[in-house]
Amino acid sequence: MRAPFRIIFEQRSETPKYLSAFVPLVSVLAALLAGAIFLMATGYSVGETYSNMLQDGLLSSRGFTDTLGLSTVLICTGLCAAFAFQMNLYNIGGEGQLYIGMLGGAWAGLALGPHLPSVIMVPTVLLVGAAGGAAWIFIPAFVRSRYGTSEIVSTLLLTYIAASVLNHFVYTPNSFFRAPDVTFPMGRTVADSAKLTAIGDTRMYPTFFVIVALALFLYWVVKRTEFGYRIQVISDSPRAAHYAGVNARRTTMQVMLISGALSGLGGATLIVGEFGKLDQGVLLLGYGYAGIVIAALARNNFAAIIVSGVLFSGLRVGGDKLQITTDTPIHIGVMLQGAILLFALGGEAFRRYRIRAVRMQAVAQ
Amino acid sequence: MTNTSHEVVKGPHHSGDAAPIALSAHSITKRFPGVLANDSVDFDVRAGEVHTLLGENGAGKSTLAAMLCGLYQPDSGYLLRNGQQIALSSPRAGLQHGIAMVHQHFRLVDRFTVAENVVLGSRDLPFTLHRKSIDEKVAAVAESYGLPIDPSAIVGELSVGQRQRVEIVKALYQGAEILLLDEPTAVLVPAEVEKLFENVHAMTAAGKSIVFISHKLGEVVEISDRVTVLRGGRVTGHVSGRGSTDTKELARLMVGRDINLSTQRASHATGHEVLQIRELSLTSDGVDILSNISFNVHEGEMVGIAGVAGNGQRELADTIAGLISPTTGTISIGGAMTTDRGPIAARELGLAYVPEDRLGMGLVPSMSILDNLLLTRDRHIVVDRASVRPEATRLIEQFEIKANDADHVARKLSGGNAQKVLLARELSGGRAATKLLVVCSPTRGLDVGAIETVRRLLDDARSAGQAILLISEDLDEIMSLADRILVLYRGAIVHETSGEAAQLSTVGAAMAGLKTEGAA
Repeated sequence: MRAPFRIIFEQRSETPKYLSAFVPLVSVLAALLAGAIFLMATGYSVGETYSNMLQDGLLSSRGFTDTLGLSTVLICTGLCAAFAFQMNLYNIGGEGQLYIGMLGGAWAGLALGPHLPSVIMVPTVLLVGAAGGAAWIFIPAFVRSRYGTSEIVSTLLLTYIAASVLNHFVYTPNSFFRAPDVTFPMGRTVADSAKLTAIGDTRMYPTFFVIVALALFLYWVVKRTEFGYRIQVISDSPRAAHYAGVNARRTTMQVMLISGALSGLGGATLIVGEFGKLDQGVLLLGYGYAGIVIAALARNNFAAIIVSGVLFSGLRVGGDKLQITTDTPIHIGVMLQGAILLFALGGEAFRRYRIRAVRMQAVAQ
Repeated sequence: MTNTSHEVVKGPHHSGDAAPIALSAHSITKRFPGVLANDSVDFDVRAGEVHTLLGENGAGKSTLAAMLCGLYQPDSGYLLRNGQQIALSSPRAGLQHGIAMVHQHFRLVDRFTVAENVVLGSRDLPFTLHRKSIDEKVAAVAESYGLPIDPSAIVGELSVGQRQRVEIVKALYQGAEILLLDEPTAVLVPAEVEKLFENVHAMTAAGKSIVFISHKLGEVVEISDRVTVLRGGRVTGHVSGRGSTDTKELARLMVGRDINLSTQRASHATGHEVLQIRELSLTSDGVDILSNISFNVHEGEMVGIAGVAGNGQRELADTIAGLISPTTGTISIGGAMTTDRGPIAARELGLAYVPEDRLGMGLVPSMSILDNLLLTRDRHIVVDRASVRPEATRLIEQFEIKANDADHVARKLSGGNAQKVLLARELSGGRAATKLLVVCSPTRGLDVGAIETVRRLLDDARSAGQAILLISEDLDEIMSLADRILVLYRGAIVHETSGEAAQLSTVGAAMAGLKTEGAA
């Protein structure tokens, strides 16, 4: 006897619009559910943990401004990943580009800061940081565009080198970047002219608004300009690009350099903002990797990255404060981050397929 | 206009009608997302006959065939094999009932010998293969149906027609009683088609049933004992009796209205030379793709390049369009050299190019009609879509493109409408007014109605004084349209003739690489 129904996984002829918002939302909820199972299994109260996180991350005014402050760098790294994704390029090394961006920003702040006024100095720090990020992706971009070498491997491996470079400058005695007269190895704080002051008594800096504007600008660039048009042609059909005389090699180079620059810019926002110096602590924060998740959750839409960046930042801030206020391990935040990526990617399948139960056909005789 | 009603045209009954029905399908329905591919279709084939499934692309004939051989399962309806109900869960199940399909794209391992390919997939193979005994077995099966073939030949070295024969022998070796041939003539030159038809007769004489799938009316009339016509997933007519039907009637059943495919070769004066090719050669990885090609195309002239697929046609078109740099030789358009100057320079001199691959090369599938119009045009730094929109709307109307509006995504267009978008863009000029149009297989895969439109558009362009280079594997198309015909074989032009004087047999022989008097 056969079952009267069978479950089939069939392709959708068209993706309904609502799914674009529905799938990321459900993946966040599913990740929270997975986290809840973990919390229960380890003996923590689910309700209490989550309400604390929500309170500390988004609902309290302190928590909300902290979240917006942190989201500045996360939106940058999200844009970095999404920009490369526009052309089906996988820049996994936003993390490393962020370190080098921070290094570049710190250099500008230390070397030029004492001689220049703030109004010139802050943009300079940001631009030098962006240039640093772009420089760090130059080799992967070059070999990818010329020889087709996988950018996934090269950008990822360069991240480890970037971490060593950053450590080198902080740990080496008498290094230009190292704070003198302190036994403990740490970075030297940049000149005051290279730093912004936080808004009111928050930990939020004006760079947040600059980055939000940048995200909207990039959204416009991709939708409306010839550059965005070219990216779309190449990503959809390289042969059509060849046919139309679009230079794919040069565009690949440009897209990857911009992607790297966006992470580098994120690193530089830490110099003009919260950190103010080269700080090896950044190696443990994983801001660059978080950008990949943020981009995936926003489905590489630059405007949506602002939302997913803030949401993500809220999770981090809420998770971090848990550690302080309760004894819940800080890793719950990081775990949720991984779970969201997993569910967001898995959820993609539902945009293209649907599950349907069909009645088995009656056998006519 | 004929609609969905079943229309039965009775012809004189063929003697084969007395034979028992080998396989029948009853009220088969198959639905794909958004498409009703088969709508309660009835079909049967008798032992020893050729029953043709005729229909345009998308009429549902391949879907029906796929269900007859077990590749797909029907949503409703059932199959009877010798009167017994069967359910086919896979092609292997189909084979167990003696049903096999010969696909349009062969499924052979190039590096294996003929015999190895034939026995591949057989269930009862011994652990070690004794080449000699297998060779003998395969040769015996082949010869019993009059299909001479060398079992120890390497498949990769065989011609397309021979490879098709290997596929047929493979099906017979596996015990097929019913063979489904999916568009078997699409890849063959005329002489090979003749041989295939001989083989089909040998098989039916031995009591095998053949389901022949095609949209080419002439050959359908020649080979079929019975014809079932499909349109939009439904049966629109049955015709029986070999040779007794006229193609016009079949075409009407297939399309639903009267059609006229014969274009008149205009009597017109040709003007200046627009395209000049001199001693063009292309070598890739040490292989000669094109060798020493020289010809001209004049204003108001259509030159047809005939040849079997893979003889350098695509590379020739790409080279003229500036996508490939030739190894030696020159190309000029309107007197200006375009060799090595890239596609944009060629377009600025009046080149338009309709590649064989419409979606993915000529058009970007995920982009709208409007954005696709911009592909070969000059775009400003900020793309000004608003100013192009009126033109897009006008072209959609002028070329009778079935689309909601200019924002209709290319991927969602039918093959015929995609081709019309491509022609609309290329004929309307972009960077410069179109002087030279290079078109590759412009009607391949299109339904009869669209073929009619596309040929008319090409004709109009020629009348308007544009020079046209028509590269097509469809010999009938070239014979009926081109003013001058060049045959490309292994990258060289081996035959040249005027369109009026062209003879099917001579051109066909040249396509197959046989020396002819007119050889250049």
